[in-house]
Amino acid sequence: MTREIRIALTGNPNVGKTTLFNALTGSRQHVGNWPGVTVEKKTGKVSRNGCEFEVVDLPGTYSLTAYSADEVIARDFILDEKPDVVVQVVDATNLERNLYLTTQLAELRTPLVIALNMADMAEAQGNPIDYRKLSGFLEIPIVRTVGTRGEGLQDLLDAAVKEAKTSPHHEHTIGYGNEAEEMIAKLTDPLSADRTLSGKYPLRWLAVKLLEGDENVLAKVRGGAASARVQSILSSINSDEYEATMADKRYEAIAAILPQVHRTNTRGTTFSDMVDRVVTNRYLGIPIFLALMWGAFELTFTVATPFMTVIDTLTVWLAEFAVASIEPAWLGSLIGDGIISGVGAVLIFLPNILILFLILALLEDSGYLARAAFIMDRPLYALGLPGKAFIPMLIGFGCNVPAIMATRSIESEKDRLISILVNPFMSCSARLPVYVLFAGAFFGAHAGGVMFFLYVLGIAVAIASAKLFRSTILPGEVSPFVMEMPPYRLPTAMTSLMHMWSRGSMYLRKAGTIILLGAMLVWALASFPYGVEYGSAESFAGMLGHLVEPLVAPLGFDWKVAVALIFGFLAKEVVVGSLGVLYGAGEESLTDALFADPSLSAATALALMVFVLLYMPCVAALGVIKKETGSWKWTGFAVAYGIVVAWVLAFVVGHLAPFFIGGA
Amino acid sequence: MSNGIKILFGAVLGVLYAACGLLQVVQAIFGTMESLEALFIPGNIFSGSVLLVIGTVFLTGVRKLSIGTEEGMPFIYVGILFSVGIGLVELLALCALGADAYLVGEWADWSAADAVNPLLYLAVIGVLGLLAWGKEFFRGARAA
Repeated sequence: MTREIRIALTGNPNVGKTTLFNALTGSRQHVGNWPGVTVEKKTGKVSRNGCEFEVVDLPGTYSLTAYSADEVIARDFILDEKPDVVVQVVDATNLERNLYLTTQLAELRTPLVIALNMADMAEAQGNPIDYRKLSGFLEIPIVRTVGTRGEGLQDLLDAAVKEAKTSPHHEHTIGYGNEAEEMIAKLTDPLSADRTLSGKYPLRWLAVKLLEGDENVLAKVRGGAASARVQSILSSINSDEYEATMADKRYEAIAAILPQVHRTNTRGTTFSDMVDRVVTNRYLGIPIFLALMWGAFELTFTVATPFMTVIDTLTVWLAEFAVASIEPAWLGSLIGDGIISGVGAVLIFLPNILILFLILALLEDSGYLARAAFIMDRPLYALGLPGKAFIPMLIGFGCNVPAIMATRSIESEKDRLISILVNPFMSCSARLPVYVLFAGAFFGAHAGGVMFFLYVLGIAVAIASAKLFRSTILPGEVSPFVMEMPPYRLPTAMTSLMHMWSRGSMYLRKAGTIILLGAMLVWALASFPYGVEYGSAESFAGMLGHLVEPLVAPLGFDWKVAVALIFGFLAKEVVVGSLGVLYGAGEESLTDALFADPSLSAATALALMVFVLLYMPCVAALGVIKKETGSWKWTGFAVAYGIVVAWVLAFVVGHLAPFFIGGA
Repeated sequence: MSNGIKILFGAVLGVLYAACGLLQVVQAIFGTMESLEALFIPGNIFSGSVLLVIGTVFLTGVRKLSIGTEEGMPFIYVGILFSVGIGLVELLALCALGADAYLVGEWADWSAADAVNPLLYLAVIGVLGLLAWGKEFFRGARAA
C-alpha cells in the first residue's frame, strides 16, 4: 500500500529551500540569491520507492518567534498543520546561525531531519563539516545535500521516511539556567490544565515561548483555562531579559558543539568582500546602481530591435493578409485589424521583456539585488521607509503582483502598508511596451535614456509618496533594517534562462488572454454602430473617448489615447494593443502613425509615458492590494492617489518638456 | 604584478573615463562640438554620467592605493569589471543596430561609426586589465 508522507521544508532565509524543493518535486518555483524570495507556502509532490511525498516549501524564518507575515506562515504550518516530518535546510557555510533555529525546532518534538545544504561550498571554503558527528550530538538525522546539483535527494527522502516511522520523538532540551528553568516549571503547571493547548503543543515549548514574550503563543493562551495564572506569572517578569538569556544559552550550546564538528578556516578578503567594498560604498553605491540600471535599459531597448523588426514584419503581413483574404469582411477586419493588430502590437515587445527579465535574473542570482536594498536603506530610512521595502520595489520591475506579496517580509504593519501603496509606482514589465513604443517613435537614439528616466521617476515618486504617507496618514517610527548579505555567486545560464522564461511566459499568456480580450473589445467599440467608419469619432470607441477626453485634454491627449488609457486598467500592455487597434496598425506602422499624428509630440509622448507609469495599478495588482491590505478603503485610495499623482506629474512634464526637448 | 602598474592602469583609465564622461555631458547640455564628434564622443547625458561613475571608481582606487592602503585594490578590480560589462552592453547594442539596419534594408546607409562611443572603445583597455588580473580577482566566486 502506498504511504503518503508530508514534509515541511523550513530553514533560515536564503539557504536554498526552494532550490531543494524544485529539485525534489521537479517544480519551477522562483529562487533567488537574497532572503525573502518565498513569502507563501508552495506544495509539490514526488513518488519514490512506493512512498508518496507531499513537500511543502515554507518561507524562511530565523526562529520560531515570528515577526513578519511570511514568518507567521512558516511557524503556523509547523505548529498547527503537524507535518509528518520537518526538514530543516541548513546552510553549511553559516552553521552557527542556522543551528539556532534547530535548537527551537528540536524543542517541538516534531520528527526532524536536517538537510546540510551547500555542503560543497563549505568544503571549497576549507570548512568541511563532520555531519555524522554533528548528527550524533544533536540526535537528529543529517543528510548532506547540494540543491543546485540535486545531490543527496534520495538520502534525504529515505531519512524522512525513517524519521516519520520513528515514534515517539523525545524532546531535545537546552538548559536555560536555574532562574529560567524555575519559571518554565512554574508556567508548565497551569498550562497542563489547558487540555486544548497541552494536547497540541509540548508544554515546555509553550512555557519557553511565553517567557520569551511570544505574542502569538500569548494569544493562544488567552481565554483558555490557564490564562489567568499564566498572566499573573508573566506580569512579574521582564520577558526581554529572558528572551536574551535564552538566546545566549542556545548559542552557548551551539558553540560547545561546533568546534568538534567544524574546522573554521580563517580566510583573507573574498571576492564578495572586495565587490561589496565598492558597490556598497557610501558615496559610490547609488551611482553604481543607477549606472547598472542604465546599462540594463540600454540593452533592453537596443538588443531587442532586430527581433522586434522580425515580429513586426510578420504581424503587419499577417494583419494585411487577414483583412484582404478572410470573408466576410467584418470577420477579416476582426481578425486583422482587431486581434492580429492588437495582440501583435503587444507581442512585438516580447524580446524587450525577455531581455529585461534576463538582466534582472542575472542581477538577482548574482546577489547584487540584496546589495541594492542595502545601499538604498540610508535614503529610504531618511524618507520614512525601511530598506527592506526596496526589495519588493525591485521585484516590481518585473510585476507588481508578486512585489506586493513580497512585502509580507516587512514586520511593521505600517511599513508594510506604505510599501504596498507605493509599489504600483514601480515600472513593471507591462509598462515597457508603452515606453519602447513612444520613446522609440519620438526620442530616437535617446530612447534608452528616456526609459531609464521613467524607471528612476517611478522610484522617486514611490519614495516621495512614502515620505508623504509617513508624515501624514501613517505616522510612526521606521523599523531598522537588518538583512544578511548573501555571497556573490556566478549565475548559471540554465537558472537565469529559466527565470527569464518563467516570467516571460506570463507575458505571453497575458497576450493570449486579457490582451486578446481587450483588443477584441476595442475593435468592437471601434466598429460599431454598424455602418460607421472604423475607428472614427462616431464609433462607440469615439463616443467613449470623447466623453473622457476633457479630463485628459489638459495633458495633450486626444480621444484615442483616452480610450487606450481606460482599457489599460485591464493590463498596461492593453494601452499599446488598443492604440494598435484604433490606429489600425501593427507596431511599425503604429510607430509611424503615432509619429505622424499631429496631436502627438515628443512632449505629449513623454507626458503619456509618465501618466501610464503612475495612473493606477492594473486589475491584478488591485486584487492583490485588496487581498494583502484586507481593505477596500486602501485599495480605493491606491487608485485615487495614483490617478491624481499621474495627472499632476503628466501635466507638469507635458508643459515643461518643450523647454528641454524643444518638441512641443 | 606590482601595485605600481595597477595604480598607473587605474589612473589612466580613470582619467580617460572621467574626461570623456565630462565631455559627453557638456556636449549634451551646450551642444555638439565637431572636434569631439571626430573622436567618437557624442553628447549624451546618460552615457556621459555612466562614464563619470566608472572613472570615479577607478580614481577612488588609485587614491587609496597611492596612500598605501590595499583597500584601493577592489576599486580597480570592480572598475575593470564595470568597464568590460558596460562595454559588452555597447558592443551588443552596436551588433543589434547593425542587424536591424540589415533587416530593414538600410545596411548601405548604416555605419558602425555612428554607434561607437567611449564606453565601447575604453572597454578594450578594461579587457586588458581583466586578462592581466581577472584570475586574481575572481578567486572565490562560485557558481550559483
